[in-house]
This record gives sequence, C-alpha cells and structure tokens, in this order.
Amino acid sequence: MAFLDVLMLGFSEAFTPTNLFFCFVGALLGTLIGVLPGIGPTATVAILLPVTFFLPPLGALIMLAGIFYGAQYGGSTTAILVNLPGEASAVVTAIDGYQMARKGRAGAALAIAALGSFFAGTVATIGLAVAGPTLSSFALSFGPAEYVSLCIFGLLAATILAHGSVIKAIGMVCLGLVLGMVGIDVNSGSTRLTFGSTELYDGIDFVVIAVGLFGVAEIASNLEFKEARGVLQSTIGRLWPTKQEFKESWGAVLRGTGVGTILGVLPGGGATLSAFSAYSVEKKISKTPEKFGHGAIAGVAGPEAANNAGAQSSFIPLLTLGIPSNSIMAMMLGAMTIHGITPGPSVIQNQPELFWGLVASMWIGNAMLLVINLPLIGVWVRLLKVPYRLLYPAILLFCCIGVYSVNNRGFDVALVILFGVLGYVLRKAKCEAGPLLLGFVLGPLLETNLRRALLLSQGDPLVFVERPISAVLLLITAGMLLTLILPAIRKGRKEAFEASED
Amino acid sequence: MSGSSTAKRDFPDILAGGVMIGLGALGLWAGRDLQFGSAAMMGAGFLPDVICGMLIAIGAYVLIKALGKAYEPFDESNFKPLIILVVAIAGFAFMSETLGFIVSTIWLLVIGSLADQESRWREIAISTVLLTIFGALVFIYGLGVQMPILPF
Repeated sequence: MAFLDVLMLGFSEAFTPTNLFFCFVGALLGTLIGVLPGIGPTATVAILLPVTFFLPPLGALIMLAGIFYGAQYGGSTTAILVNLPGEASAVVTAIDGYQMARKGRAGAALAIAALGSFFAGTVATIGLAVAGPTLSSFALSFGPAEYVSLCIFGLLAATILAHGSVIKAIGMVCLGLVLGMVGIDVNSGSTRLTFGSTELYDGIDFVVIAVGLFGVAEIASNLEFKEARGVLQSTIGRLWPTKQEFKESWGAVLRGTGVGTILGVLPGGGATLSAFSAYSVEKKISKTPEKFGHGAIAGVAGPEAANNAGAQSSFIPLLTLGIPSNSIMAMMLGAMTIHGITPGPSVIQNQPELFWGLVASMWIGNAMLLVINLPLIGVWVRLLKVPYRLLYPAILLFCCIGVYSVNNRGFDVALVILFGVLGYVLRKAKCEAGPLLLGFVLGPLLETNLRRALLLSQGDPLVFVERPISAVLLLITAGMLLTLILPAIRKGRKEAFEASED
Repeated sequence: MSGSSTAKRDFPDILAGGVMIGLGALGLWAGRDLQFGSAAMMGAGFLPDVICGMLIAIGAYVLIKALGKAYEPFDESNFKPLIILVVAIAGFAFMSETLGFIVSTIWLLVIGSLADQESRWREIAISTVLLTIFGALVFIYGLGVQMPILPF
C-alpha cells in the first residue's frame, strides 16, 4: 500500500499544470533539437541545460528528463529518415530503419519505434520505482570508504563499458578529476589551480564544460566539411504497422526492454550499449537473420525499446546512489547540484515529492512523446529539410546566452572557448569527452570521502578492504580491469563495439 | 619519415598522450605551492598532485605505445570553422557585459555564420535580425537574464 501511496504522491506532483507544461516543453524542445542531423542527445541536453535553471527544482528536472527522451527519440527519427544517426545509440536504428524507409515503410518504422519506446519506458519506470527505495535504503548505510570505492567502481566501469580505448578514457577521467579541483579547497580554504584568477575561486561551472565539450566542439566538427546530407526519404507511408509487422516486432520489443532495463543500470551502460546488445540478440535468435540490414522490423523494434529502457534505467544509480553512469546523467547531477539537491540515497527520504514526481513525470513524458511524434511527423520531416547553416547560429546563440546566464558574466563564455577547443582537439585525438565529464562531477564526492575515510583510519589504506561492501566493489573493479588484460575478452569487447566505430 | 619504420605511429594517440602530459604538467606547476600533507591529513595539494601524476603517467604510456602502433593518420581536418567560432564567441564574451545584448549577438551571429562554407549574406542578414529579436524577447525580457540590451 505504501508503494501506491508514494506513486500517488508522485503523480499528484507531476500532474500539476505547470509541471505538465514543463514536461511537454522539454519533450518538444528535445525532439526539436534532437531531430537535427548531427546533434545527438548529449549535445542537446548540454545546449538546453541552462534554460532549465530558471525553473523550480522539480520543474527543471522534469523538463531536463523530457529534453533527454525527446532528443533520444528525435535522433531515431533522423536515423530512420535520413540515415544520419546523431549519436551512437541511434546507429543501430539507422541500419534497418533506413532500409525500411527506402521501401516506403518509414511510417511503420517510426510508429514501432515510438510504441516500443513507450512500452519500454513504462516498464523501466516501474523498475525505477521498485528498485529505487530498496537500493537507496541499502546505500544509506554507506560510509566514506564505501563511497570512495563506489566512485572508483563507477568511474572505471564507465570507461570499460563505453566504447573506445580504455586507457585513454581513464586518462580523461583523471583530467576531469583535476578540473573538478579548481577553486577554493573546502577543507583548507586555500585556492587551487586558479592561475590567480578570482573568477575561478568558485570552481569551473560544469555548464561551461558541458557546452564547450559537447556544444561548441560538436558545431566546429560538423562544419568542417560540406554538410553530409543523407537522402531524405520523404514518403512516410502508412503510419500504422501491418499485422505481420506487429507480429514480427512485439517479441523484439519485449526482449529489448529486458536487455535495456538491465544494461542501463550499469555504469557506462545506458542507451548505447543497450541498443547494440538488443540488435545482436535479435539477429541471433531470428529465424531469418539474413533479413537484418535489409529492413527487418525487429531490428528497429528491439534496439529502440532497449535504448529507451536503458535511458530510463540509467536514472537508477543516479537517483539512489548519487553516481551518474554516463555523460547525460552527469549533466542531470550537475543540474540537481545547481538547484541545491545532492543526489543520493537521502533524496527519497527527505524529498520524496521530488523523487516520485520525477518518476511519474518520466512516464508522462514518454506518453507525451507518442503524442508529439506520431501526429506531428510531417513537421519534423520539414525541419529535416532546413539546411544546417541556418540552424547552427541559433544553437550558438543558445549556448552563449545559456552559459552567460549561469553567473551573469562574460568570463564563463570566454572559458567555453577553452573547452570548445579542448573538445575539438580531443576529437582529433580520438578521446571520448564523456569520461571527463563524469570525473568532473564525481571529483568533489570522491575527494571529500577519500579525505574523510583516511582521516578516520589515520592514513591506513586498508580501511577500503576491511569494510565488506567496499571490498566487494573494489574486487569487482579489479576483476574488470583484469579481464581487459585477457586477450579473449578484449577481442569480444572490440567486436561488440565494432559496429559503432564507423 | 625517419629511417626504417615508416609504416608506424598512431597520430591520434600521440596527440592524446601529448595533451595528457601537457595538462598534467600544467596542473603540477599550477599547484606547486599547495601543501601536500600526508594520507591521514591531506593538504590541499595532495590529490591534485597525485592525479596530475597519474595523468602524466597515462599520457606517457599512451604516447610510447603509439610510437609502435600501426600507422594511423589524423582524420582530415579543417580548422577554419573552429577559428571563426572562437573569434565569434570571444567577441560575445568580451562585449556582452559592456556593449549589451544587441551588439554582441549581432557580432556572434554574423561572424559565426561565416564558419559555414555555403553561407550567403542575405540569409545571414535575415536570420541575424530574427534571432536577435527573438533572443532579446525570450532571454532578456522573458527569462530575465541580467545583460544590458544596448551599450548606453
């Protein structure tokens, strides 16, 4: 009964007219920007992040979550219609989705993607509602040592499960940790790494880093060469899937939901890993694997359900443990911090209306996406025809004003340049910027707890292995690192991500 | 080009290693005056130094490995858009507080639009006017961002 009570509390929070409005605006804005070719969910969230700072805390989180799903779904639309996935999570959707579009079945692909995503979102939201309280009451017993191990586990697991070179990703985590230390040290009051600039005493604002690394760098590399225009398949065809298509896809949706919900919880998991795994599952168990790559609807339904479920369940570690599992969750954490909320196990206890309101709004947001996307598909198709040269100046303006508005100063905008250039150089060096952002937001948590733990143990590092939960976490981390050295698993990891490399 | 091993060197990795070593060294230098302390009583410089050290070590590892890896060139690059964007944003950053929203936004949009090779003056003019009006209404009047509208 208690479960129903809190769920009712959540819905009563989420169903207020203003929160419904924020949810709707978020989903709409997210779709609007996410549908633009070349701009994925991470960049969309980074660009729109400052807009939410003007709202009350719950409203801001609801809107951000809406932006996130909107961007994700908008990205799938682009992938299906023009074969230009905005982010890795939509790459698999493009494979079969675009082939369906070429056969005049774009409508069915979009509808299945939307319905599958809605179903998956519903299941994963229930998962969050069930797992949240359990996990967070478990996490309440965590002391400093456990938090240190949890941070290390989260950061390293995120680098291993994400694609790209692990050692470079660990380097990026370190860089993020260092950036997180800029400013006044809370313990001693001395200024660190500020290069004598008083503007840096409060540290680098994380919006600056997010907009620079993901917004400006993204625009700069999109503009490098003449627009890579896919051929837009403008005949959408009948929206409603045929009976045969339904029959082929419902199993895939179910499996995709399962895969996504579980993988989304893992650090570094989330949408991308879920989508890739779901696609290979579908291909493996299909009776007609040769159809995949030529417009198999199961190849759209599975990954789409999985990436939405994964996107949803990646909120679980953030809201219960305070540990973000990917760069989008890192931005959610940053947004919460700006509103004075410390994500973690105490949120459910102390601010139940916030937690349950967000959970309820996730479900509402998914339902809204269905309404925004299917009837309005004509609008999005028209938007796809607008050339990039007309769109990016608007995005640039959003980035600059957004960053300016955080502290009302031009200094932050100037800092964005630094991170924009850094982001561009990192792209050339084939380094992922995601781990950097994770390190940046987790840095303060890691440092505070590390200091506290070692202070309590009088400098004895054994404290991390003497406490059972901490020891288990470190053991798993060590195990993961070991497996990387074993050649067989390294090969398997490489294969799993091969499709995303190109 | 030097000598026998022509078909080696992973250039993106060399750059990655270089960036990590450089930034790690910069961090160590910037934090040179901070107190290090001990594990039990960490000073402000303890973690910055340790992590910068790790960053340099990882960078060195990546760099050395890269020298022996199979040849991999940089992706084709065109720095012009990036440079133009930097100029556009820098102008906005320095003008926004003093000269106000309208001047800095027009600068940002006009210069920023030049970053695309296919830009056309007519389009730039129209979109700049529309976006400036839209931005002033939404951000300055609507959301109340603290930025003057005009220079005076």
